[in-house]
Amino acid sequence: MRIEIRPVSRLRGPEPVEFTDSLASIVESLSASDIDLSQVRVTCDWIQYRSSFREVADLRVVLPAAAHADTTEPGIELAVDLRRCADADLRALVTGLLAENASPASSARLSLEPWVTGTASCIWRFNSLYWQALSAWEQATGREYERSLPGGKSDASNVEAVRELILELFKVWDDLDARDALPAELYVVELGVGNGSQARTWLDEFVALSNAHSRDYYRRLHYLMGDYSPHVLNRARQAVAHHGDHVNALVVDATHPAISLGFLRGKAFLVYISNVYDNLPTDEVARVSGRAYQVEVRAFLPMGAARRIARRYGAPVRKLPDLVEKLLRLGPELLCDVFPQHFGEPARAVAFWQQVWAALRLQERYVPFEGLDLYQIGPALTGETLRAQLESDGDIRIHVNNGALSSFAETLPLLHPFGRLQCHDLFVTDVRDYRRGFHGPGKYDGSVVNWVNGPLLRHVGRRGGFDVRISPFRQRPSANVKTLTAGVRE
Amino acid sequence: MSDTNRHTGMLPTTVIGSYAVPEWLGQLRNDYYQRRISQKYLNEIHEMAIKAAILDQERAGIDIFSDGELRRDNDIDYLLARIPGVTIAHRAKADYLDYYNAEVSRPLPEPDGQGLGLAEEFRFASQLTDRPVKVSITGPFSLSRRITDTAYSDPAELVRALARHLNAEARDLAAAGARLLQIDEPFLAGYPDQIGLAVEAINIVTDVPGVSWVLHVCYGNRYARPLWQGHYDFLFPAVHETKVDRLALEFARKGDEDLRLLRQHKWDRGLGLGVIDVKTDQVESRDLVAARISRALRYVTPEQLVINPDCGLRHLAPEAAREKLASMVAATAQIRAELGPG
Repeated sequence: MRIEIRPVSRLRGPEPVEFTDSLASIVESLSASDIDLSQVRVTCDWIQYRSSFREVADLRVVLPAAAHADTTEPGIELAVDLRRCADADLRALVTGLLAENASPASSARLSLEPWVTGTASCIWRFNSLYWQALSAWEQATGREYERSLPGGKSDASNVEAVRELILELFKVWDDLDARDALPAELYVVELGVGNGSQARTWLDEFVALSNAHSRDYYRRLHYLMGDYSPHVLNRARQAVAHHGDHVNALVVDATHPAISLGFLRGKAFLVYISNVYDNLPTDEVARVSGRAYQVEVRAFLPMGAARRIARRYGAPVRKLPDLVEKLLRLGPELLCDVFPQHFGEPARAVAFWQQVWAALRLQERYVPFEGLDLYQIGPALTGETLRAQLESDGDIRIHVNNGALSSFAETLPLLHPFGRLQCHDLFVTDVRDYRRGFHGPGKYDGSVVNWVNGPLLRHVGRRGGFDVRISPFRQRPSANVKTLTAGVRE
Repeated sequence: MSDTNRHTGMLPTTVIGSYAVPEWLGQLRNDYYQRRISQKYLNEIHEMAIKAAILDQERAGIDIFSDGELRRDNDIDYLLARIPGVTIAHRAKADYLDYYNAEVSRPLPEPDGQGLGLAEEFRFASQLTDRPVKVSITGPFSLSRRITDTAYSDPAELVRALARHLNAEARDLAAAGARLLQIDEPFLAGYPDQIGLAVEAINIVTDVPGVSWVLHVCYGNRYARPLWQGHYDFLFPAVHETKVDRLALEFARKGDEDLRLLRQHKWDRGLGLGVIDVKTDQVESRDLVAARISRALRYVTPEQLVINPDCGLRHLAPEAAREKLASMVAATAQIRAELGPG
């Protein structure tokens, strides 16, 4: 049996966390069962999110390769959240999980989907719904989504950082101008515009700095705001209305920016992306005992929560998966129209949405890859891209960040040879960080959040001829948010 | 009719040099740099890949082949690593496409007859096919741009010294039977004011009897992206002074606006017309390629033309490379038919 404790930093320091009792309970429960203990891994995480898709403990099956499925017993991983262990009856939990594993029919989970890859899970449809029906969610909670970010404010509108960036742009433009190589149109793109505060800050500062500069760059500036959500885009447009024709707003699928922005190929001097990548669909892959696996997930509601929700809306439990499916397809307002017997008014449908979301959990299992090259990360990237990380240092589990990777790979070609991409987000900066901590997914309000596999983006950028640097957010060095910068390599 | 056309007929088709590198081959190269496979193993892999590349060219109906430059990581390192006096302190790479950090800290020794190995590679490729095989050599000016030079007070001296080594290699190639050689200058477009020096160095390289020379100048293809932007104006009139028989230029990606320069500057030697964009996997239709050839014929004679992609195919997916070559050959056949028997 292997026991892996990832949050090692919590074992030391002024207030080390005591895990011994929890681990003892787990080992005792496992030992009391008749499973092959040599095939068991216990992985201990510290789930920092107030709200996540994880139970205190869960059991994950490690499936054998298809060629050995008849002769090899599946392995077992017991995943434990050490943060919540102290208040849980681990013996009972582990015993229950082993019983469920032996007899799946006894499961106390209401599945909302079949086993799927991470990106295909319905949690991303919930995520999309959140952005599409944001105003309904905000009405119900009585607060804007930016307030739900840690610290209550996006990092995007930091004036000092904005000024620094603009002045660097001026320097590049001055140099190009001196060589008679400055294009007539100067394009700046922002993906994921939030409430427009970044755009407003950026443009207001740009005007002030441009006026102070000897050249009138503002006259030539085109600021393109791109966002997936028309609601968000409309709000952002209002925030920068005083910049008139200098600003254009486009609905952009963040995972495929080239569809809307392909006309900018080689023209954008700055692409600014803030807190977008952490909110894009991702798979997870793992190396277990030297073999590469895809992490498959299945969204479910714990039966207790499912019963409570069903009772509240006057529906049988078995009907809940259908109601959730309809919610994701129609949104809360139409759901209310279609099922007036359950949701008399839109607010009740929104409440249903929020309660399901709060209770939603992910069950996981490991499915072996038949070949990394057969795994398609995105349109132009195969699983071979992951090989270096998966083979870097023993067993590991990493984010693929499929959405972020596709977005990044499609955004880089938009850059002018002297352009740069700047991105503020939650980046893992070293692949070994995955061995030392939990990096999502978690829930922020109604959306999904994941840390982004920075070294993987660096690898993809590098293969495309870009230098990619990830550095602390200079204006707040201790923040989890980091700054990724990409520019053409010499 | 040019020397090439005499051997291959009207509007011969060719490649610029590099051939598509499948993802698995790139992975194996990285395995070599991470010491997972030996040089011997990698050499054998490369030989198999070269055979496949030649077969692909044959099937596509190409007239003049290359070995696909499949032994070369990129356009620079393979040669730099073999030129005596060029120091590469760290030969490990995270990715095979990366450039080495090369340094010259004392004047290069004169060529010593050991050669750079291209002649042997030519022999290997040419015994696999009856078609003419072209060998490309990255030019001395571009090679010099990737060297940290602390040896020469005048950077031009490094360029000339590199040219002498390349000339010795070209002589070895000629002795091995190579009749068609090409100089690639992918960095020249970024330094248009250096055209005089580049031409001088090219003429040092091409001073080889019995060889037909091509000069390929593009706007860069590193990581399938152009390195520079601009027009071919800078080549003229200096390029008239080069001792080359043909210019191979890119027009598919850039558009054919610069074709006018050939007439304007009375370029009466051969033209390798770039008709395939190598920076996208999107396959051009036969009609599109044919239209590109037809437009070029407004500016140059059929006898001057050789049909080729814009640049090397290194960054294309293999399937896309095969389809693009097939499209190029089909379009050329269509134009040949329209022109009638020459």
